[in-house]
Amino acid sequence: MDERSVGGDMGGKEDAKMLENTVKQFIEYVRKQVEEQDPVFLISVVVALAAIIITCVFLKYFLTSKTVRSAVLLVGLCDSGKTLLFSRLVSGKFKRTQTSITDSSAPYKAKSDKGTTWTLIDLPGHDSLRAQYLEKFKSAARAIVFVVDSAIFQKEVRDVAEFLYVLLTDSVICRNTPTLLVACNKQDITMAKSAKLIQQQLEKEFVFLGKKGKDFEFSQLPMRVEFLECSALSNKAEEGEADIKSLEKSLAKL
Amino acid sequence: MLDFFTIFSKGGIVLWCFQGAGVKESFTGPVNALIRSVILQERSGSNSFTHERQSLKYKLDNEFELIFVVGFQNILTLTYVDKFIDDVQLRFRDRYKNELVQKGALMLLNNSFEFEDDFQRILREAEESSRTRSTTYMRAFQESEKSKKTVKSMIETKGGDKGKEQGGKKSKSSKKELEKPSPPGQKTLQNGNQGLTQEEIIQKKREEFIRKHTAGPTEKPSLPHIQRGRRGGGGSGQRNKQTKVFPVFDCLCMPGFSFYANKHLVCLPPPPPPPPKKGGGGGGCGWVKGWVGSKSLSQEDMEPVLEKMKEHLIAKNVAAEIASQLCDSVAKKLEGKVMGTFTTVASTVKQALQDSLVQILQPKRRVDILRDVMEAQSQRRPFVITFCGVNGVGKSTNLAKISYWLIENGFTVLIAACDTFRAGAVEQLRTHQRRLNALHPPEKHGGQPVVQLYEKGYGKDAAGIAMEAIAYARNQAFDVVLVDTAGRMQDNAPLMTALAKLIAVNMPDLVLFVGEALVGNEAVDQLVKFNQALADHSMSEKPRLIDGIVLTKFDTIDDKVGAAISMTYITGQPIVFVGTGQTYNDLRSLNARAVVGALMKA
Repeated sequence: MDERSVGGDMGGKEDAKMLENTVKQFIEYVRKQVEEQDPVFLISVVVALAAIIITCVFLKYFLTSKTVRSAVLLVGLCDSGKTLLFSRLVSGKFKRTQTSITDSSAPYKAKSDKGTTWTLIDLPGHDSLRAQYLEKFKSAARAIVFVVDSAIFQKEVRDVAEFLYVLLTDSVICRNTPTLLVACNKQDITMAKSAKLIQQQLEKEFVFLGKKGKDFEFSQLPMRVEFLECSALSNKAEEGEADIKSLEKSLAKL
Repeated sequence: MLDFFTIFSKGGIVLWCFQGAGVKESFTGPVNALIRSVILQERSGSNSFTHERQSLKYKLDNEFELIFVVGFQNILTLTYVDKFIDDVQLRFRDRYKNELVQKGALMLLNNSFEFEDDFQRILREAEESSRTRSTTYMRAFQESEKSKKTVKSMIETKGGDKGKEQGGKKSKSSKKELEKPSPPGQKTLQNGNQGLTQEEIIQKKREEFIRKHTAGPTEKPSLPHIQRGRRGGGGSGQRNKQTKVFPVFDCLCMPGFSFYANKHLVCLPPPPPPPPKKGGGGGGCGWVKGWVGSKSLSQEDMEPVLEKMKEHLIAKNVAAEIASQLCDSVAKKLEGKVMGTFTTVASTVKQALQDSLVQILQPKRRVDILRDVMEAQSQRRPFVITFCGVNGVGKSTNLAKISYWLIENGFTVLIAACDTFRAGAVEQLRTHQRRLNALHPPEKHGGQPVVQLYEKGYGKDAAGIAMEAIAYARNQAFDVVLVDTAGRMQDNAPLMTALAKLIAVNMPDLVLFVGEALVGNEAVDQLVKFNQALADHSMSEKPRLIDGIVLTKFDTIDDKVGAAISMTYITGQPIVFVGTGQTYNDLRSLNARAVVGALMKA
């Protein structure tokens, strides 16, 4: 190896050349190996590699694809009647309920011609659990049923408004714009406020929360908002049909 | 005897319920109170709860997501309740295993659980067993062991006699078996020395003692039923054949036997309950089971992980008792739960702990002071906020920051200087008032100064100054009154009384406790004593307690943010403000996720 000089500045170039040589040799080696090998073996190696690549691509596609939005969420303050409404919609039965601490979900067949099946999800309303369950399910929401206790609405108006405001200003919900159905529950109680009154009160509260100063109307929102009245508990308490016809009609229109 | 018994799912649907005869009130209220106070506030370490005049006991079934609750009157002490709930739970699970395994709300809604007969049967059994046990009465002197000892035996002499006699006494005590530490003494009559005369008993005990010493000090404990072989025997020869070699050790904690504390007695805990059955597989594939699903969590699995988490929390400045209560609560919530595939015990426990911490830090009610001030404005009365806390936590500084925030949002503020003790307190507030007025000059706000100070110098009664300040604010139409009180130690009874009087008389809209983030275990003591004082000295039925917490000096701690957890856990009230410095802008609200992230970080 007389060509290799001992000088420092020449050393670098020599190294690069050596690297190039080794790479070339390696490529030659691989080529020779490939040519020598059985073609069947080669084909199987290529097929295996292709299968792996295709699987990776599919997995990436499926795992990161947007979840199909087929859920209808039942949200609202604590004690507004969500769990009973859930039971009525899914099975028509009356069941005694307690404060929920986890979510419940069941398939719901809409009473329309198409008869699409949604997943009805009942989220807990308690303040300390609300946020985390909403976080979990909001991206899958096709519609949100916001249940309001119409009888004690006057006392809770600020809490209701704040929850609704948080819901409407959530980024994921703004992006997906699910239909919002405000169900004014407990209409069987004589003191219950009507849906119209509740709508007006909420619009007035939103003026404070939005801090923009001008009047607010629900029709200004990008999503479809509908106020309706219902009563999960009928007048005869446990027996008797619940008055949820308007809710079912609205759900059928989804 | 029972008021009610209810079985409901964690999703809120009641599967089955029973209401005792003659009980008219619905049980929905008390059970909801139980859920909100205990389960949601992570206090499920102890399984009982008192609500007005009812006592509730509950059990969580984490595998099928069910909750079993029983309620009875406070004044009754029913001893069978704990075991009764366990029995009911096992029976319910066995009977409805097929349905429950399906999981899902549809199953719960479509099935009706006819559990009445089984329940009545188990209840009858439990009541009968308690009745037979409860007929045990106090032993007469003749039956007690002291009467069996001779006077001579009780005199301590040096040498062998003492040892033998003590051995005799000891073996007698060892006959009193002990399955549970309570109820003490109730089981002793079952297998006591009923059929034997006094001398025979002493003789037997001597033999046993000698045998024990010759057999060696390491003997296995055995269940007490082996002793039954001795009873009713004839002569000593027969007895010798029947008696087995393993004696029964007594527990030191049993009353009346504490003076037997010599080295021969070893205190042992009651035998542990049999471990829950894990799905199939021998011991060899146990570790594989840990990886591939359907492993249900047991107390032993979670123990090491929880210990580590507890120490980690304590290292992050969470109060020691709070950390241990939290870990107990998480253990209760996870016991029996079936883990998913490829999840380890550690990750499940950590996730559950993280969820509970976030849940604790989430406020239980809406916290929106500005909206409430607007509400008070519309009612033409000032919104009164009182600051209380121990010395040197930053009440006056944070009061100034909050008044700056309120002014920025367009409200007028009156500061009431009710700290009439500390030198310079009034001057400090006057300086803040001047500065704030300089930042927001009166010309821009319609000629009226945005901040005013109401002070009456030093040495006067704080409650009186507060009352006058509020009346002044109402007359002058101020929006908010901020009442600054003197710092006081929670142990100082007269000062605590004075504070309680100030709050009870003036009925502020918001009582804020100011606490520094540097505090450790002290936080628990401070908050408990403050709340206690406020509750004790209030005349009304619903005393005003601490409504919110201001956490100050948050910038001085890096990630040792445990004080936030301690304070919210103890009071159940939200952290309204967080102080992060000494300028007016250093006022933030709590970000629960960030705090929990900092806590769980390694």
